[in-house]
Amino acid sequence: MPIIAQDDKKVEVNEEGFLARPEEWDEQTARILAKAEEGLEEMTAEHWAVVRYIRNYYVEKGLAPMVRKICQTTGLPLKQIYELFPSGPAKGACKVAGLPKPDGCV
Amino acid sequence: MKKRMKVAVSGIVDVPLETKSQDKARRDGTASLKEGRLKAYEAGSDNVGKFLGLLGRRISRSLAVSMTACVHCGMCAESCHYFLARPDDPTMTPVYKADQIRRIFKRHIDWTGRVVPWWVHAESPRTDEDLNRLKNIVFGACSACRRCTLNCPMGVDTALLVRFTRGLLAELGIVPEGVFNVSRDEWETGNQMAVTEEDFLETLQWMQDELQAELGTSEVEIPVDRPDCDVLYTLNPREIKFDPRSIANAARVFHIAGERWSLPKWGWDQTNFGLFSGDDRLGGYVARNVYEAAERLRAKKIVISECGHGYRSTRWEGYNWAGYAQKLPTESVVVTLGRYLREGRIRVDPARNAEPVTFHDSCNIARSGDLVEEPRRVLRAVCADFREMHPNGRENFCCTGGGGLLSMAEYRPLRLEVAKIKAEQLKATGAKLVCTMCHNCIDGLNDVIKHYGLDMKVVQVLDLVSSALVIPKRPSGAAGGAR
Repeated sequence: MPIIAQDDKKVEVNEEGFLARPEEWDEQTARILAKAEEGLEEMTAEHWAVVRYIRNYYVEKGLAPMVRKICQTTGLPLKQIYELFPSGPAKGACKVAGLPKPDGCV
Repeated sequence: MKKRMKVAVSGIVDVPLETKSQDKARRDGTASLKEGRLKAYEAGSDNVGKFLGLLGRRISRSLAVSMTACVHCGMCAESCHYFLARPDDPTMTPVYKADQIRRIFKRHIDWTGRVVPWWVHAESPRTDEDLNRLKNIVFGACSACRRCTLNCPMGVDTALLVRFTRGLLAELGIVPEGVFNVSRDEWETGNQMAVTEEDFLETLQWMQDELQAELGTSEVEIPVDRPDCDVLYTLNPREIKFDPRSIANAARVFHIAGERWSLPKWGWDQTNFGLFSGDDRLGGYVARNVYEAAERLRAKKIVISECGHGYRSTRWEGYNWAGYAQKLPTESVVVTLGRYLREGRIRVDPARNAEPVTFHDSCNIARSGDLVEEPRRVLRAVCADFREMHPNGRENFCCTGGGGLLSMAEYRPLRLEVAKIKAEQLKATGAKLVCTMCHNCIDGLNDVIKHYGLDMKVVQVLDLVSSALVIPKRPSGAAGGAR
């Protein structure tokens, strides 16, 4: 599995760039994934609001939240989610939040 | 002195069989697995024997023709993006891939294979490992785009052979994990992304609220299970789960066009994974859900949102899989949009789409679905600078994410490597936007764009129509009155 190294942290991802072991996520991992996979040089408060919500939801329910819930809880319109995470909520934000890849033809 | 041909074979055949999800489904007592609709791998049972038995029982005339008509001329090789990107790898040619099932057919069914097996290269699988290698070829080295079929002088349908083989393997549970997961989800929840009814309805309500706020009227709706509608609209679950803006876009257009339409509460998933997994049973189940929803709501027409395998499955193949006599016209939403434009039911301003746009014909829509001209008519009406890529239409190259490959992570490196052909094709257009009618292609093309660093964005026809849509001062509220 490919490894992304930054500073002195190594993050192992699968072929699609999703965290190989979702349980090993922390905020530094998020920053590394955001930069390597989404091209985000830094994460703003809005990025963090989205990522933290997704992470907490996943830790609690074992699933990725619906994009509607992400928008409602963070108060950000869908259009802005796509501006923050160019790959979108599932492939972008969920990836940065250390979730596994969603199933389906996507 | 004979010069040795340089051969560099990909390692795709060595990908092992993963059964984590299958084991979990067994432990969880997943209904579709218990009831035998979905199959899981059983080590130690006579899988090769079962495989050969199924092969014998399922052979049809069209399959037999494709098995026997190949003269090994090699014309298919030049049509396949896998081989064009890896010209030193003969295992990437369509003829090689088809030969893997053909040689089994020749060994066990065709008389030549029984009498002179060495001459016709007949060979039988002996172990489950052989079946696994076959799985890697038919799921991982082919996107079932049918470009080879189109270019074969003998009419051999390699993609049909690939799909047939996938179906045999699916019956034994020898499939990539992604295929098992999606099949399981579609059986259990009726849609391939396990969207619950609650999430479905709440997302639609959310989009309706936003639309009403935007247009300043409560007459715009996203109706669910409204009977006696003219149009039953069906979706790709991706639209609910990832980006419901496309549903809002469709609703806005329907409202302005004064359409009487509805979504069904059950049977709204048109995407049909049975096309990719080769499982006609699953294909029939999903297609039937849609057809029966239309019947239940007494709709006059089924309209399919922009999705390639959804279009081909729902419009063409599903009726055969489900054994269902077609009673209603079934069309793509792009055809509907074209009609609205022609009839003046919606007005557009192409200047709003100023960036150069090219169109990517999806395999299951153009080549295998016969819908080529209509999207172009719509795009010429809504874009200022529309340009073709080459080749295009029925000869277009696959986005490289077809055939369900996007759900199979283990084959991604090879897929992206051979996407070089697609990247070159896209770059040559000089366009900033590539428009496609298929959700699969959106992700497939996005992967290509990201991997090859192209400066382009992917959009759908509905996106471009919505950008150019001229919203009348007083929207025509003829959307069928109160619910």
